[in-house]
Amino acid sequence: MSTQNNPTEKIAAQPFMITREFPAPRELVWKAWTEPERMRQWFGPKGFTGTTVKLDLRPGGMLHSCLRSPDGKGMWGKWIFREVRPQELLVWVHSFSDKDGGITRHPLSPTWPLELLTETTFVERGAKTMVTLKWTPLNATDEEIKTFNNAHQGMTQGWGGTFEQLAEYLAKN
Amino acid sequence: MVKCSPRLLNRTFAALADPTRRRILEHLAQGDRCVTDLARPYSMSLPAVSKHLRVLEYAGLIRRRRRGRVHSLKLEARPMRQALAWIEEYRKFWEESFDRLDQYLKQLQAKEKK
Repeated sequence: MSTQNNPTEKIAAQPFMITREFPAPRELVWKAWTEPERMRQWFGPKGFTGTTVKLDLRPGGMLHSCLRSPDGKGMWGKWIFREVRPQELLVWVHSFSDKDGGITRHPLSPTWPLELLTETTFVERGAKTMVTLKWTPLNATDEEIKTFNNAHQGMTQGWGGTFEQLAEYLAKN
Repeated sequence: MVKCSPRLLNRTFAALADPTRRRILEHLAQGDRCVTDLARPYSMSLPAVSKHLRVLEYAGLIRRRRRGRVHSLKLEARPMRQALAWIEEYRKFWEESFDRLDQYLKQLQAKEKK
């Protein structure tokens, strides 16, 4: 029998991946990811300042931090570590939170997944380090998976050859 | 942060999720069209096209103008720009963080060499 119409069947989540090669030895890159004083130097978009209020770097431990946007608004986030393999792998469950560490919804999207499984690998490439970060929705509803898939596929995939023309129109109107 | 209503944003995303509707939007970027113009390239029935157009209208992505019996459709740029900006935001989050990490690591190593 076909399971196509099974209402409990999940939509497949498309992971979000980003890779970068950093011009530094792996040991230093790892420190930059796992020491609060170093992390605040880079974590968050341009102009944001981060403050880590708690960091317990071990499976089950938590990182709790606040990112302040240039206009002064604070956004709390929480990481619960699942795997910590020094200089190799860092796995955590990523979510928005309040200042007390309770999980909250995305401030702009009520159907954004509550939890994202984040897997970050660190690979030595001579004197350089390749970092790959992968985001996958965790325990998400179909609607949340759809929101997540749409969010990162919308720009790059699924448009015809005339997307540039569309972008031009949007820029002018 | 891009500011727009979460409810409208969800409607916009739902509307953009369908490939036919994306084609229609691309088509409208070349200029206003009437319903029959839009149905032709997809060999779709008028009711089928109308259904897609209603979803796009509801999401605020297009506007309909009636000239007598002819309905002319126009692509509304603003909500679509907002949705696309939001889509880019979390990619931007990591890309900008990685740019800063790159800078930070370079600074650290320059200091060590001194």
